[in-house]
Amino acid sequence: MRQRFLCLFFPRLGIDRLERQNPQRRSSAFAVVREERNHLYIAAVNDPAKDAGIRPGARLADARTLLPILDIVLDDPEADEQLKQSLVEWCDRYSPLAAHDGPDGIVLDITGCAHLFGGEAALLEKIQTLLREMKFHVRGAIADTVGAAWALARFSKQGVVTREELTNALDPLPVKALRIACETAARLDQVGLTAIGHLRRISRDSLAARHGPGVLLRLDQVLGLAEEPITPYRAPAPYRAGRTFAEPIGTAAAIERTVLDLLRKLCTRLEKEHRGARLFNLDCYRVDGSVVRRQVRTSKPGRSVTHLMRLFSERTSSFDVGFGIEIMVLSAADIGTSAPVQMTLPHCGDSIEKDTSLDELLDRLGSRLGFDRVCRFQIRESLLPESSTEFVPVTNALPSSACWPENRVRPVRLIEPPAPIEIAEIIPGKSPVQIRIGRQLHRIVRAEGPERLTPEWWRDRPSRWKTRDYYRIENQRGARFWIFRETTWSGERWFLHGHLP
Amino acid sequence: MGSVFRTEAASAPERATRLRETIEPLVAIQRRFSRTVPVSQEIDAGLPYRGLPLGCIHEVRSSGLACGIAFAAMLAARISSPGGQIVYVASDRTLYPLGLLAYGVQPERLIHVVVRRPLDLAWATLEALRCPQVDAVLAVVKIADLTLCRRFQLAAESHGATGFLLTDVVSRATTPVASVITRWQVFPIPAPPESTFEEPCWEIELSYCRGGRPGRWNAAWRNGRLEPLASKPVRRAGLLHPNTLAG
Repeated sequence: MRQRFLCLFFPRLGIDRLERQNPQRRSSAFAVVREERNHLYIAAVNDPAKDAGIRPGARLADARTLLPILDIVLDDPEADEQLKQSLVEWCDRYSPLAAHDGPDGIVLDITGCAHLFGGEAALLEKIQTLLREMKFHVRGAIADTVGAAWALARFSKQGVVTREELTNALDPLPVKALRIACETAARLDQVGLTAIGHLRRISRDSLAARHGPGVLLRLDQVLGLAEEPITPYRAPAPYRAGRTFAEPIGTAAAIERTVLDLLRKLCTRLEKEHRGARLFNLDCYRVDGSVVRRQVRTSKPGRSVTHLMRLFSERTSSFDVGFGIEIMVLSAADIGTSAPVQMTLPHCGDSIEKDTSLDELLDRLGSRLGFDRVCRFQIRESLLPESSTEFVPVTNALPSSACWPENRVRPVRLIEPPAPIEIAEIIPGKSPVQIRIGRQLHRIVRAEGPERLTPEWWRDRPSRWKTRDYYRIENQRGARFWIFRETTWSGERWFLHGHLP
Repeated sequence: MGSVFRTEAASAPERATRLRETIEPLVAIQRRFSRTVPVSQEIDAGLPYRGLPLGCIHEVRSSGLACGIAFAAMLAARISSPGGQIVYVASDRTLYPLGLLAYGVQPERLIHVVVRRPLDLAWATLEALRCPQVDAVLAVVKIADLTLCRRFQLAAESHGATGFLLTDVVSRATTPVASVITRWQVFPIPAPPESTFEEPCWEIELSYCRGGRPGRWNAAWRNGRLEPLASKPVRRAGLLHPNTLAG
């Protein structure tokens, strides 16, 4: 299939960014300057400065002689990069394959997309109008190859160029439009090869021999004789369904209805392919240009429409639609296999369904509270009580085949970190006779121990804890505690680690 | 009930109808609480349902939660259906599953849910109670009003899960009177000299029971069941054990 590419060229993105931040700048002359070898050079200028005769590339000192009141701003490539990233995301609504193209361009693979927006000319017109309304200077072009669209956007006035018109449109363009190095272009100019048409007419062998294979490759790429893949800014979701609205929608019922339709579409496809997804992304493009994203995660690969709809309705209830939503796109990621299970037998009239209520409960809990808050327990090989069990999110929990240790007397809740306590009275080497927890004094009538637990010296980071001697003690009222003694070179310390039932 | 016997003049069929009207709700209650788990031989004898009814909400009060968790875990472990889960909802991560092994709870059955706000706690507990694959829900509640308890009760009745609201008397957690089916208070008592630490001794008080009478038992957890202790009265200062306040 023949591919079609749309290139957008932003000739003065830095100026646009600053003017959008402060609209008053538009009326007074100002320039973006760049520091290079301890000199300040003009990087870009706005319209009033351009009228005053200041050109990019000049030294600031020279520009100031022309216009002493010239306002300057130091360039900020990171902010420009960020702005362009959000522009690429904005363009995402027209094609899932949007990519950066140098510091000042964006390229979209619009193969098979244009008819959704009323044809290529209408699409290009729409994008340019919207971006110009957002106060960007932009020029776009559509052609069969990335190279041709790039060249046309920068060096030609033509917008949409068909395959038949391509060579005619390219021939008069300067050789710089081939995306070759400046020195190569200058050398070609010197020998009189000033336009792409000139290069096309001389033999390929001599072109490669005299001017290097790079020029030939670029020429082939422009003409579509060599492949040139683009790298989308994000991997396109293979499972994706979207809808564009004639009129922006804003009511909860309409949004819900659309999500349901999109889910049905996506889940039917997943079911056909015996797959399920763990992650569903809903992108809503608002009229004002911002994007609202909602995400739903499940603990197992799923494709149940009713269940997913329930998860989404919890997430979309607090939804700021602004002036309305014009495009909604639902995509599924983290795909896993999920074979259908036969539960019913034909001609028996039974309607048994697999009980998935637990998975659905976990998904609902996880999507509202976060999956790190819905846990199962797993055992770890450790002697220290606090690290011998582990909270594992239900999404990562392994089917348990753990062998839990035999019944030992342990508290049902641990005090973490262990609380330091005071020993009011003690016979050395024995369990305490009186302990003080907070302000309470407890007389100990019964004690069991010690149970010695040693930390793991073979771990990468040795625990700050030393060997512990655990005692189980009971006070005169029957309350039971689990305390331990830690002996260090400076003496011994006592801690309360839990209440025994 | 007295009305049945006071109206001497009523005819025999009328009296029969009135008797039926009186009896029917009682039978309905009995049917409603027909699924039970045994607590212990002595305590079951004191309960109107001959065991702890399932599919409803019980409250277990204790000081510092330790005895309450142990008591509720022991009962939850006895509600066993294949693949049934026990959900523990709390605002911290202090539960220690190795301590629950002694009370029959297999850690594989446990799902631990951490919540930040009381609203989330109520929501998560309700969701868990409505799930048919959940046997029991243990929720550490700070405060619960009558409406919330009623919603818990309806959720539990509709799907058969049993809820245990664990309240800590030290932090003054409260639930309204008569909002649950049974209310238990479990406090430790001094063990007889011959017992070990593997056999905790509790004073188990049934302070409220719908359709039944309150009661108080002393029992020791021994060999996987509650065994009665010689019930010598234990002197306690009011509701709280002042000396168990700690941590």
